[in-house]
Amino acid sequence: MNTTVAGISYRAVIGRRRIWLLLLLPLVLIGLAVLLRLVGSADEATAGTLLSTFAIGTMLPLTGLIAGTGVIGPEIDDGTIVHLLAKPIPRPVIALTKFLVAASLLAVFAALPTYVAAWLLVRNEENIAVGFGLGALVGGIAYAAVFLLLGTLTRHAVTIGLAYALVWEGLVGGLVPGARQFSVQQWANAIADRLSGSAFVGTDVTLGFAIPALIIVTVGALLWTGQRLRSFSVTGDE
Amino acid sequence: MSTGVIHDIGYRRYEGARLGRRHAFTALVVHSLRGAFGLGRTARSKIVPFLLVIVMLLPAVVAIAVMALAQQRSIGYSNYVTLMQPVVMIFLAAQSPYLVAPDLRFRVLPLYLSRPVTVPDYVGAKVVAMIAAVLLLIATPITVTFVGELLVNMPGPPRTGEYLGALATSVIYAVLLAALSLAIASFTPRRGLGVASVIAFYLLASGVSTVLAGVFASLTDRATAGWMLLINPFFLVDAVQVWLFGSEPAAPFPYPGGAGGPVALLGVLGWVALGLLALAARYRKAASA
Repeated sequence: MNTTVAGISYRAVIGRRRIWLLLLLPLVLIGLAVLLRLVGSADEATAGTLLSTFAIGTMLPLTGLIAGTGVIGPEIDDGTIVHLLAKPIPRPVIALTKFLVAASLLAVFAALPTYVAAWLLVRNEENIAVGFGLGALVGGIAYAAVFLLLGTLTRHAVTIGLAYALVWEGLVGGLVPGARQFSVQQWANAIADRLSGSAFVGTDVTLGFAIPALIIVTVGALLWTGQRLRSFSVTGDE
Repeated sequence: MSTGVIHDIGYRRYEGARLGRRHAFTALVVHSLRGAFGLGRTARSKIVPFLLVIVMLLPAVVAIAVMALAQQRSIGYSNYVTLMQPVVMIFLAAQSPYLVAPDLRFRVLPLYLSRPVTVPDYVGAKVVAMIAAVLLLIATPITVTFVGELLVNMPGPPRTGEYLGALATSVIYAVLLAALSLAIASFTPRRGLGVASVIAFYLLASGVSTVLAGVFASLTDRATAGWMLLINPFFLVDAVQVWLFGSEPAAPFPYPGGAGGPVALLGVLGWVALGLLALAARYRKAASA
């Protein structure tokens, strides 16, 4: 963990007007929760739908993509990463720092709003708020590691990450049950499902699979990112 | 006292034909359209657009196979685009920043403007190119399916009316999606952030619309649920298609009847106007900077 690197990374993602993109999604989620409360349909079923389709299904991967690739993508894009890599800081430390920055941003801009939205809808009923908050937090950590790795592997990280989140987790995961086993979104849902006692939260991924999978993916992606940065070469593209 | 001498080092004047503003406009349109599909760029930039075009064509191939082997019509023309929403969204997000971001980021706009091209020409060329790109993406599979239907020689008359309606609707889709995506992309000179902003807009719109429509439907307020569907730009255009061409609605709930169709058309026009105004404002600033 290097505080200077962390400061630069924070500025790259939420500096100037860029913070609005990260703020927009949680604000819409909380706005929806307030609206649902006002029209009087704040029950467990609505909370389950809103949180698993919108919070975990849309907001979490999108903020994960913005924060995960945002901490390293722009630097690679304009080549200023060489200044960072030329410093006597171990590359895995740089990778770890950037991962912690992305993960902390996701905790603030994805997990916290999920908890707040759930609390607005159903208070502490059946532990739904805690379950989804924790699911979003753990899922966000995994997304941060995966998308950070993707950012170091390719310049089209945002597009490829998007295709993964929309096509694999959304389209294929909706049709093929087996694909759901290998989806960060479903692992997060599994945690939410197990922690909350509500019947309206459902997933077909067991916790015994989801937790090891989350740990392996996060640690594996982090180690690979460190390794990748150690042998990083800056090449021109377009 | 100056002893400078001007040497004639052999620069030559250009004496060929000056092709003028219209030619520059066409060249910019063609260049941008090719770029949207990765043509004239590196091999790596061709992967994403070509993959998306192939994915868009898959249902058409399946539909033709089903028609040929089982003599059954599976996928309609009118709901093809709404069915393939995620793919179209990824194409818009991945390709629209390419059209506008690099020129803004490297501040080369003054170079374009030193030619006969004006700011409205530049923006117009980019919009026309994006419209053509989206139209190619969504009208090709529909046309391929139709040609397949004609060749397979299905029992009963061909669905020519539905096909022509869907083709006209693809133009509406292309204009709306191109104007909105370019406008959003032009506000972020960084490509990665542009991709994220464009997709965030479409995912937010479709997510909010799905959640609200679902909730109002569960409150048995189907009229409001229909209105909520129109938040999603794809269903907004589909509602126009249902009103103009009488096609089957593609959404899970019926669209609002009565004033719904005209309001949806006004909504489309409003979005397009908003997108173009935003582009104009953005480039007025960029050209002076």
